[in-house]
Amino acid sequence: MNLEFFFYILLNTAVVLLIAPLFSGLIKKVKAWTQGRQGPPLFQQYFVLFKLVKKEVIYSPNASWVMRAAPFLNMAAILVAALFVPLVFVTEPVGGIGNVILFLYLLAFARFFMALAGLDAGSSFGGMGSSREMSIAAIIEPTTIIVFAALAIVFKTTSIFSMFFTSASTQALVTPTIILIGISLFIILIVETSRIPVDNPETHLELTMIHEGMLLEQSGKNLALMELSAAVKLTVLMALLINLMIPAGLALSLTAAGVVIGAVLFILKGSVLAIIIGLFESSMAKKRLFQVPSLFAMAFFFSTLIIIIEVFA
Amino acid sequence: MIDSAFIGSIIKILFVCIIITAAYIISARNLLSIVSVYALQSLTIVIIALLLWLLEGSPVLLAIAAITFASKVIIIPYFIATIQEKIRIKRDIQFHFLSPTSSLLLSMGLMLLVYIALVRVMEGTAHRENLFFFGAVLGISLMLMGMMVTFSRKRALTKVLGFLSMENGVLLFGLFVTELPFIIEFLIVIDLIILVLLTTILTVGLDSTLEDYHKRLHRFHLWEDTEEVR
Repeated sequence: MNLEFFFYILLNTAVVLLIAPLFSGLIKKVKAWTQGRQGPPLFQQYFVLFKLVKKEVIYSPNASWVMRAAPFLNMAAILVAALFVPLVFVTEPVGGIGNVILFLYLLAFARFFMALAGLDAGSSFGGMGSSREMSIAAIIEPTTIIVFAALAIVFKTTSIFSMFFTSASTQALVTPTIILIGISLFIILIVETSRIPVDNPETHLELTMIHEGMLLEQSGKNLALMELSAAVKLTVLMALLINLMIPAGLALSLTAAGVVIGAVLFILKGSVLAIIIGLFESSMAKKRLFQVPSLFAMAFFFSTLIIIIEVFA
Repeated sequence: MIDSAFIGSIIKILFVCIIITAAYIISARNLLSIVSVYALQSLTIVIIALLLWLLEGSPVLLAIAAITFASKVIIIPYFIATIQEKIRIKRDIQFHFLSPTSSLLLSMGLMLLVYIALVRVMEGTAHRENLFFFGAVLGISLMLMGMMVTFSRKRALTKVLGFLSMENGVLLFGLFVTELPFIIEFLIVIDLIILVLLTTILTVGLDSTLEDYHKRLHRFHLWEDTEEVR
């Protein structure tokens, strides 16, 4: 492992952990504005996490080791997945990191343990949340694979690192395929992070909750880890979308100026995307569970189209 | 003049816009947004015609752009939106044969089929040039997707919109492959406007006699004449 990659690991993880609560706070703020409320302060997420870390953890008497290990495994898997997506600068990949399929399965791994933890505490809400989450995951999986396959075909590599290299060094122009991939990735982002047409991140209503249902039994530090990991996942998927579509600012070498410019531009681009997500969520109502596949079908349609275009033309 | 490669890449991006609007028309349930997306689709075709005019300089293209803009971007969407507002139907959630999801999947297969068929048809001709070939494929696919909307929707208003988007496909095909005589384009547009007028009959009173239909028009405020105030 060379020194540059070592710095990459430190920097990427630090940036993603620091920025993640900001973006989810911004989305909340935008949604509050569209509803005519003032909303929580922009940095409220940081205060909430800070408060939760200081609280004690309480386990249900039914809970096994899964409940205790799940938050850590979840966070670990998501942080490793976060390493696959360069936020501010790209370097040479080491040890085969960056494989698309590994990236997807790290996310699936985190989701698996989250669902197990939902079942483990023995509350009916948690079980319901887990079963819903897993059924949605099972439906979205083929679409996600097809979208990433389309990415791999467009950039002619299965390594996410090489994709970022190509797009950052060519400063990829807006091509038709890139627009279609952007739409597909946006839909994947909405579904994977349990946002409004699929799940409502604000509600704790028995009938509608999916993601929140699994977290009901978590408390204290563990809850903080779960919330932070959800925010990190959001940031990673957002970074995947914006840094592939608009690679401006992504530094190709490790210099102080490049990293600072990259970080500032990333926060700007991410904020714009967060505002778009907030507006998109506000303009929609939650879909019935049986209508959710029509949303994936759109992503599936566009990415299959890309594959057809790229393979035949 | 402007760089033709640049115009080509813009046209390709507009192709993507057309695909997106077609997919939206297939799957959306809100009538008003389908109408505005249809207007957007027509506007995209107008822009494509203008860009082709820049590329080729044929005045027919300019005329087609103008007539399409007047009829399909302004008049027809305005008419349909008015009808829709008067009969107070906002959503179309009933489908025959195919759900929106399966129509999307099916339309993918159709596009592939059209592509393969056209590759064979155009093998020997000079039209193998990338842009024009894609325009042709997209035109026929748009036509088939519009056809799917026509038969999979239950409401007359959305059926008409499907037919209109089918006609957009024909227009796109005409723009890129054969040059339809301008008079035919003109007649098609007049046909469409008559079709939209007929839509009032389809949506308001297909099952009525002529007198009864007249009364219904009054009821829906689609017909205002001063002499017949009772």
